[in-house]
Amino acid sequence: MATVAEDESPRRERQSDHEGFLAHKRMRWLKIALLASLVAILSYALVDVTPRHNGGSWYGYTLGTIGALLIVWLALLGIRKRKMTEGKWSLKAWTSAHVYLGLSLIVIATLHTGFQFGWNVHTLAYALMMLVILSGIYGIAVYATLPAQLSNNRREMTKGQMLDALDAIDRQLENAAQPLGRAESDLVIGALEQDPFAGGIGARLTGRYPDCRTVEALDAMAHLDGDAASGKVLSLLRKRKAQLDQIRRHMRIRAMLEVWLYIHVPVTIALIAALTAHIVSVFYYW
Amino acid sequence: MQFRLRSIDVTAAGREIVRERELAAESIVIGRDAANAIHLPDLAVEQQHIRLTPAPGGTLRAEALGSLGFTLDGRNVQSGAIDPAKGAEIGVGSYRLDFSTGEDGATVITTRQRAEDEGGGKERLRGFTLASALPGKRTMAWAGSIVILLAFLAIPIFSHLTREQVEPQLTGEGVVLMDASWSTGALSSVHHGLENNCEACHVEPFVAVRDQTCLTCHEGIADHALADRMSTGRPQAEGGEALLWSVAHAFNKPGPGACTDCHTEHEGAGRMEPTRQQFCADCHDTLDSRLSYTTLGNAADFGEAHPEFKVAVLAEQGASERRRLSLASHPKDWNGLRFPHDIHLDPTSGVTQMARRLGADAGYGDGLECASCHTPTADGVRFLPVDMETNCETCHSLVYDRVGSTFRTLRHGDVAQVEADLLAADRSPRRPVMTGRRRPGDYAEGGIYYGNFSRVAPSVLRASAMDSDGLCGECHLPGDAATGVLSVAPVRQHARFMMNGWFDHDAHTQEDCATCHAADTSNAASDLLLPDLASCRDCHEGEAALSAEVPSSCAMCHSYHPREGAAAAPPRIAGLSGARIKP
Repeated sequence: MATVAEDESPRRERQSDHEGFLAHKRMRWLKIALLASLVAILSYALVDVTPRHNGGSWYGYTLGTIGALLIVWLALLGIRKRKMTEGKWSLKAWTSAHVYLGLSLIVIATLHTGFQFGWNVHTLAYALMMLVILSGIYGIAVYATLPAQLSNNRREMTKGQMLDALDAIDRQLENAAQPLGRAESDLVIGALEQDPFAGGIGARLTGRYPDCRTVEALDAMAHLDGDAASGKVLSLLRKRKAQLDQIRRHMRIRAMLEVWLYIHVPVTIALIAALTAHIVSVFYYW
Repeated sequence: MQFRLRSIDVTAAGREIVRERELAAESIVIGRDAANAIHLPDLAVEQQHIRLTPAPGGTLRAEALGSLGFTLDGRNVQSGAIDPAKGAEIGVGSYRLDFSTGEDGATVITTRQRAEDEGGGKERLRGFTLASALPGKRTMAWAGSIVILLAFLAIPIFSHLTREQVEPQLTGEGVVLMDASWSTGALSSVHHGLENNCEACHVEPFVAVRDQTCLTCHEGIADHALADRMSTGRPQAEGGEALLWSVAHAFNKPGPGACTDCHTEHEGAGRMEPTRQQFCADCHDTLDSRLSYTTLGNAADFGEAHPEFKVAVLAEQGASERRRLSLASHPKDWNGLRFPHDIHLDPTSGVTQMARRLGADAGYGDGLECASCHTPTADGVRFLPVDMETNCETCHSLVYDRVGSTFRTLRHGDVAQVEADLLAADRSPRRPVMTGRRRPGDYAEGGIYYGNFSRVAPSVLRASAMDSDGLCGECHLPGDAATGVLSVAPVRQHARFMMNGWFDHDAHTQEDCATCHAADTSNAASDLLLPDLASCRDCHEGEAALSAEVPSSCAMCHSYHPREGAAAAPPRIAGLSGARIKP
């Protein structure tokens, strides 16, 4: 597949025979998914269900069965991905199908509902399914864009080196802060003691750390900049802040890259539970 | 340049030994070679690893002499600038070199060996991942699934299986917990009382709602037809439909013909969805091909396939039984009256003149209107019978005498009384034909030649009573003459003519009467002024007809369930009489 590189960005230095799962086999699964969606929409329009479309008509049950089987199969990627194989049913083909058939589920499941929604377990299953699909779309989007940012942010440092650099600054800070008075020393101790990974999920995703003690120390000591000892500490605190910023940017991009899986995977399992309740309840109150 | 080289070693006991020496040099080389100013005995360090040379502004330039770099403030570099006044840290091999400025201005370089356990290694790197800030995916997945399965499956099933079974009632709360979450949509307004009582209809697990459950409340609903006729009349399912039914039966669905086949629930609040005409047409479009002896015409769509209306009429004069005849044969209805609608509605006729003269006091406006004589029933569906005393007598007076200021009136409807009144008319004194003069001699009152003349001649009245302009015959057809001179044909006004379909006048108030009833051109009471199928089709066509002003399914006029009286009517009409469900 060397021809792939022809129409790609000239920035790309190495020609690659890599074909991503999205473009796998000239988007074979995209075509299949589009066809399935089209068939579903057309049949929805043509099939005359009395008194109106709903999940309980023969057509609704058909779409529901297809949708439920699709959901189970899509969820099996979690097992399948742990075994990499090549060929017709390669993991890449499987992932490609996972993405596109997952998207076609938007059409199939929505038509299955007949646009009847309510505060019930059936709509719960639908909502969870949509949440899973939307998180999947988000995941693909961030996988396409964020790794480049992650690489830019590294500036040729490994994660370990980022921490080492922070440690080096901290050691110097400890030495440089020796001449300082009690109040300033406490500020420096506070900054040094704070775990760079202490922020919760909110801080990680937004990159805002309002309780950052390094910033607090910088603000509190700003008026001492003329003094030699304090000036050195302030300079080191600024270096520490810069290093923390890099680490936090890294964590933020990592968080944005990873957070979708924390929705996609647990909600998928919850969805399977809700789907079970949905199906059993329908037949229980048949 | 002045350097103060300080090395810190740690003894086995953990005590620090600090050595310090002064050195004035233009540059310093750091390496494993013992000849170097700073000697680091570590195989990971090259013989000559880094050279430090002074740079402008009191800074130092550090440069790697070999291909291996070093770390400057934790960052891998080949060279870099160091400002001792601001501090810096070089890492090479297992050694760290701190740079600072002494009080005397000398550059202080402190060398110390890195402790073995420093940093925490890969464990610390885990902090970069989101996993360190969130509970595990597995934990969340288990928690979510268990909550959902408990709340939406285990609790409702358990409370359903362990409940006490009671007779369903329209009012009453269900005891099954959390099963509201199973409802696929609001119930129709008639079943609204069952909204929180799912088990009233969903009695057995995995058993579809059965007819007998419906019949618990909807008692008195008979079958549409005899069971064998139903099964003969219903076409055999074929192809896809047969497949669907076999699947439905495999899943324990009742039908075809079960209550729930036509009456679908959980379709949202409001009126229950009317049954689609297809449910009727399935059998009735070709019913005669299967049920050969049926008298019903085939029907599938009001606009396209519906037989002409059949009306129950007294088809011949003197008929005692009504017969159902097609409107196509232009039947007559002999109801016993003579009544020309045209004269009564003609704006130039004497009738109109008389109505005008009587005026608003008598309830008339500018002539007669339909409503002058025809009064709708309270529900507006039909009309009350025309009543002689209320509707006719204002003009068609039965007064036959005046005594003083009082009028004497024949009693309508009581032939014997009328006869008696007329016979007795002669016996009472009449008021004089003329006033102010009396007859002469024996011709005067009390004389032997006195004649008790009056304006009414009873004998003449009786003899001509049944003529078309006679006392009775003006409005009535003659009855059986053998039963008396004044015998009239019985008057029979029908409330309904169509026995299987239902018509609701109240739903048609926007139309003039004349749109459907050609009364102004009818000169005989036996004219049947009912509109035919074609005129109904002006507005009404089949359920799916795009051209129809009023798309009409079968259920608009017909009811599937044969019951007595008004209960058999479609919902609005039956609802007015309150006859549809037990209270």
